[in-house]
This record gives sequence, C-alpha cells and structure tokens, in this order.
Amino acid sequence: MIVAVADAGPIIHLDEIDALRHLSVVDILLIPQTVYEELEAGTIPPALADTEYDLLEAGEKCQERNADLDPGETAALTIADERNATLLTDDLDARNVAQNADIEVHGSIGIIVLAFSRNELSRSEAIEQMRSLQTETSLFVTEAVVEQGIELLEEEP
Amino acid sequence: MAVDLTERVQEISNAREVPESEILEQALERGVEDLWIELVLSRYLNDEIDREEAIELVGRDRVKRTEREAQAVESDVHWGLNA
Repeated sequence: MIVAVADAGPIIHLDEIDALRHLSVVDILLIPQTVYEELEAGTIPPALADTEYDLLEAGEKCQERNADLDPGETAALTIADERNATLLTDDLDARNVAQNADIEVHGSIGIIVLAFSRNELSRSEAIEQMRSLQTETSLFVTEAVVEQGIELLEEEP
Repeated sequence: MAVDLTERVQEISNAREVPESEILEQALERGVEDLWIELVLSRYLNDEIDREEAIELVGRDRVKRTEREAQAVESDVHWGLNA
C-alpha cells in the first residue's frame, strides 16, 4: 500500500498536462493544509476535486525542519516522516532533505510511471506525458534527463 | 504584457530602447547557447563525453544539477515500475 504526501509541485505540474488524476494511483493521498493554502493563493486545480485525498496539519516537528525549504515542502516532509509515507515533490532540495532523513521521495515522473505500471496509461501515453512535463510545464528538468528516463521505461518488458 | 512573439520583441525593444533587430540577434544567440548546453549534457549522460569535458564546456553547476536530476528521474522510474 502506498501512502503519499504531496507538496504543491506534483499537483501543479501534473495539472499542467491534464494528468492530475494520476495522483489517484497512490492508495492514500495526503495533502498538508499549508500546501492547500499555497495552491489557494493561485488557483486550486479543478481536477483536484476528482481526486480523493485527506487534508492534514503538520505536527510540531515542522518547525525544526530545513529553513531552505518553503512552508509547504516543510509540512509535507514532516507529515511523510510522521506517517512513514512517501513524499511527492519535484524540488531537488526537498528530495535531498528527505533522503537524508530516510524518507522515501519521488516526483511527477514517478507518478506517471506508476500510472503506467498500474495500467492507467499505455507505455506510449506515459512517454508522451513524461516529455510534456519537460516541454509544457513550469517544472525545470533537462531534456536529456527525461529522455534517459524514457529509455529506462522503454527497456521494461 | 505581450503574449505574441512579435509583440514581445516589440515590447523588449521599447523597454531597452534598442532596435528589434538587436533583440532578435540576442534571442538567437541565447537560443543557440541553450541548445548547445542541452547537446553537451545529453552527450555526457550518454557517456559520449566524460565529466571533466562536460564541466569544461557548460560549467560545474550545470553538470551537478543535471546529475541530481538524473538520479531523481532514475529513482522515480524504478519506483513507478516496482512499487
């Protein structure tokens, strides 16, 4: 069973390619209240209404976290730690902090590949969406890196 | 703010008080530079050039950032396939 806590990054980036529904491939999705408020400051993606999730407040440990991360990332990291959940973030610094704290961490590309392996997407659709993440969203990732990830997916029988 | 490419060139030209032709020349230079960086990083990731050569061509920060991205993407793909 996959319990995952999302910060704003994957919610925004997956929504930008109309793929927010893929967040439903995790078994339990948690969204920190702080992240929800960050999204509210812009626009809550309408597709989020079609996704089942629980809103949670981060606990007291939240204040002790890395000052380089934004409040949403910090709250998501804290909840992931408290609940032994997977952190979903596209921020490299947040990933580093999570790895140093032995918290499993993945991002939008992981969600797309998980949707593929759970038969929510064909391989070609998954590849197309991985490329779209790089070309059509606000996520910064080097094109050659995405192509390398696509090669790994293509090697899978 | 301008949305269309031509309008953006005009707006930048007006804001900087330089001719549109100069803006287009700078845009071409930057575009080629970005494509060059992508090519070098792609060759590095495909083991066609070594790390030191990649650093020499595009700088240590870009190479290190790309290495972090590559680790993240590889980890994501393996997780997605095996979780």
